[in-house]
Amino acid sequence: MITRRQMAAWSGLSLLGASASGWFPHLACAAQQSNKAYRHCILLWMSGGPSQLETFDPKPRHENGGPTQAIPTAVAGIHISEHLPQIAQWMTHLAVIRSMQTKEGDHARATGFVRTGYLPQGPIRYPSIGSLLAQQLHDPQCDLPAYVSVNPFLGISPAAFGPGFLGPAWSPLIVSAQTAQAGPAASEDDDSADGVAFEVRNLQRHRDVSRWQAEQRLELLAAMEHEFAMQRPDTPVAGHRQAYERAVRMMTSEAVRAFRLDDEPDALRDAYGRNPFGQGCLLARRLIEHGVSFVEVNLSDDRGNGGAAGWDTHTNNFRTVGGLCSVLDPAWASLLQDLNDRGLLADTLVIWMGEFGRTPRINDNVGRDHWPGGWSVVLGGAGIRGGQVYGATSDDGTTITEDPVAVPDLIATICRALQLEPTDANISNVGRPVPLADHGARAIDRLLT
Amino acid sequence: MNRRRGIFHRRPATVPGLVLVLVLFVRASGADSAGGAEPTGSPDGVVLSWKETAAQIDGLFAAAWQRHGVVPAEPASDEEFIRRVYLDLAGRIPSVSEVRAFLASDDPDRRERVVATLLENPAWVRHMTIVWRNALIPQAVMQADLRPLVPGFEAWLWERLAAKTPYDRLVREILTTDVQAVSPFVVRDAVRPDAFFAAGRLKPENLAAATTRAFLGVRLDCAQCHDHPFDRWKQDQFWKLAAFYSELPASSPGAVSMQEAGGSPGTIRIPDTDQVVSAVFLTGEVPRDTRFLREQLADWITSPNNPWFARMAVNRLWAQFFGRGFVDPIDDFSDANPAVHPEVLDLLAEQFVAHDFDLTFVIRSITASQVYQRSGVQTHASQSDTSMFARAAVRGLTPEQFFDSLAEAVGFYQPYRQDNPFVIDMTSARGRFLELFRSDGESVLEHETTILQALAMMNGDFTGEATSLKDSRTLRAVTEFPLMSDSERLETLFLAALARRPSPSERDRFLRFLDTHPDGQAAALSDIFWVLLNSSEFLLNH
Repeated sequence: MITRRQMAAWSGLSLLGASASGWFPHLACAAQQSNKAYRHCILLWMSGGPSQLETFDPKPRHENGGPTQAIPTAVAGIHISEHLPQIAQWMTHLAVIRSMQTKEGDHARATGFVRTGYLPQGPIRYPSIGSLLAQQLHDPQCDLPAYVSVNPFLGISPAAFGPGFLGPAWSPLIVSAQTAQAGPAASEDDDSADGVAFEVRNLQRHRDVSRWQAEQRLELLAAMEHEFAMQRPDTPVAGHRQAYERAVRMMTSEAVRAFRLDDEPDALRDAYGRNPFGQGCLLARRLIEHGVSFVEVNLSDDRGNGGAAGWDTHTNNFRTVGGLCSVLDPAWASLLQDLNDRGLLADTLVIWMGEFGRTPRINDNVGRDHWPGGWSVVLGGAGIRGGQVYGATSDDGTTITEDPVAVPDLIATICRALQLEPTDANISNVGRPVPLADHGARAIDRLLT
Repeated sequence: MNRRRGIFHRRPATVPGLVLVLVLFVRASGADSAGGAEPTGSPDGVVLSWKETAAQIDGLFAAAWQRHGVVPAEPASDEEFIRRVYLDLAGRIPSVSEVRAFLASDDPDRRERVVATLLENPAWVRHMTIVWRNALIPQAVMQADLRPLVPGFEAWLWERLAAKTPYDRLVREILTTDVQAVSPFVVRDAVRPDAFFAAGRLKPENLAAATTRAFLGVRLDCAQCHDHPFDRWKQDQFWKLAAFYSELPASSPGAVSMQEAGGSPGTIRIPDTDQVVSAVFLTGEVPRDTRFLREQLADWITSPNNPWFARMAVNRLWAQFFGRGFVDPIDDFSDANPAVHPEVLDLLAEQFVAHDFDLTFVIRSITASQVYQRSGVQTHASQSDTSMFARAAVRGLTPEQFFDSLAEAVGFYQPYRQDNPFVIDMTSARGRFLELFRSDGESVLEHETTILQALAMMNGDFTGEATSLKDSRTLRAVTEFPLMSDSERLETLFLAALARRPSPSERDRFLRFLDTHPDGQAAALSDIFWVLLNSSEFLLNH
């Protein structure tokens, strides 16, 4: 049996002992419920750019509106699209921004901008909003990664999902839904997604490995890593260490129970929708309960799958968006209900957005193209004064007639809703302080409680 | 040009070996002006050998380091070199016997001999196929619906790279290939490069952006919607380039192509405007003819006088060996993003042209340089600046490099599918690892290990078997071979995983572990092998 001290002595670097022993946390680290009230954030990410006209800014009296009808909501005077009847009942808790405006009509640039709050600028690697908020809001007691991304689509702008200059400690745990039966034969069968699960694989020690053996291995690995990292102060080496530390912490934690959706009543699972997005929203609530700071869930098609830019409706816009909304509406409404029932909504900000909107003019393929000039975002829950619409677009949808909102202003508003100060700064990889929201950003007071 | 030639379909037989080499059009007149950048052609026309080129690279870097007060790292040891050069050229770590043979050699030219040998090895072709596939159709790897494009494209690349096709011809073949409207959902097992067009969804604007980015390192993407915010490109320049692709067929059966919509050849309408523009090269010249537009575009792109073509290729190759290019990101040549060490970039580009776009010439020059043969061990703070190339940077592996190295280390052999070696079988161990280790980062220097990767390597079945006494070939060979001492067994595991012998302190530490393990020596060797396979030294190139 080898002790760390012996190991350090043999390696000829006795100073190494202390740092090597800190390489992995002690295995006895148990899950604890935190006492401090940390706020949380759930982002419902609509990759591809959702049509505002078929969601929160319908134009039924103009030809640009197409066949989409508007319906009244729980708040008198506010109408939204007919595709979101359940969400309409939650309008008292929601604030709709109809006047988001950027100049970025390219998926990658727009995704980067909306998800980091910054346009690319020289060598600065801006963190995604998930990493940024996770780093600000994280509960040190939580054994799970502070940022979890469910069914993301990383094909457009991978860096917009990464930690940037904050470093690998704030990179997301990426979780993908496993469906029991993924065959096309089951596509029309509503029960086919019953088996949606979010297992984190390989969390258990391999069956042939004893606990003692596992500990020995980790100690030897820690010593090797330490020597290698001393000689090579490079990002990939530090990132490897972070990943192993976080993985070991998860392995030894009770908090991974959060992934067991089977613990939930059937009726609740049904309400969310038995599909990857619906169950992903349920998972988000469970992760928040277990102390995770930021969870995002991506929706890409009418079966609730993620992993694609499904809102990019250049063709067949109306049917596609209708299908997407049929998954979105019950999942989102159930999430709000569930958070509210458990007293979590007051501390949890729920954001609905994509990278831009769609052209008001309907194109020749019954589609809508990229439109950064006036589109919608919805906020609800923690810190948000619900029951209002902010900003407006013209009757044909092509111009903003009231209160345009820039991306940094949105980020600042999100920060304030989460009790963060938008001007607080991190030090970037080029040594320059970078505030949470870009210089000059102004939080929209009217949206905040 | 674009007549239909039948629909692709799944073929059980092997990929067809013949491909129609398309019309090689007469090279454009050499009058291209540079449009702000210098032409690439060597001013005095000196043709250097790869050894001379390597020596010049080293001379230029020595001067640059002196200018900037940089103290370069020590030369790489043979152990460092052999692992790095195998990963870079063969796409995998060397086997135990390959390391032993190299370390035992006293041939002073052993390093260049290894490079020469590897450049004749099928593993090199295989690795370069992956490298160029990632470079040319990156979306096809990321987006599941485009995956069926990959096998036919890889097969085509494989044939061209194995034949040592000059780079300009390779690019010309891609740009001028026969293109048909066909669903990307059909598995392409025809040996053809038209996946490049299918990956761009046959849209002129996508293809204009992809072409300039991949072959010229010029990012026009933002100019699609507005004038470029911090570069000289204007929106109409983007669409004038897109007009070269106006002759393509419609993106899907039922959709309307530019031609059918009544557009005149070589023109395109800028969306949401009434402005119709004609094809014009980025340097301002107009094509001579409104027919054969893609051929003329290929002429212009691959011309030795094109200011970007050779530089971009050389920049990409350099990044392949150092983790970053002179221009970084590699495909962002612009006034706002100047190259570091432009004199080296120009030298390599000139010699690349002078050697008729021979990719292996550039690779031999780079790998023979002392810059490439630096150690990764940091000895001075000035070596941290990766733009100085004064120390071998630690780089992430591609998923393929990683799995093929893991397979080499543990003695895992997975037969290729007989019917089509390019089809990725997602249920195989290799397929699963490729998926899990797919890197989303934009730079190998910022490579991140994910939690899920760490868990798979620590606890997964593959590692479990690789480190199990009954399943692992490498481990069994090491534990069961009767004539080895403990020290030799340890050394063999180190050579298998890390291509080096243990340091004296490691030897002491691990031998002590072997001696005192309560479950015996074999169990201890299994634990040690686990440690080596989970180390960042194994998971990274350095």
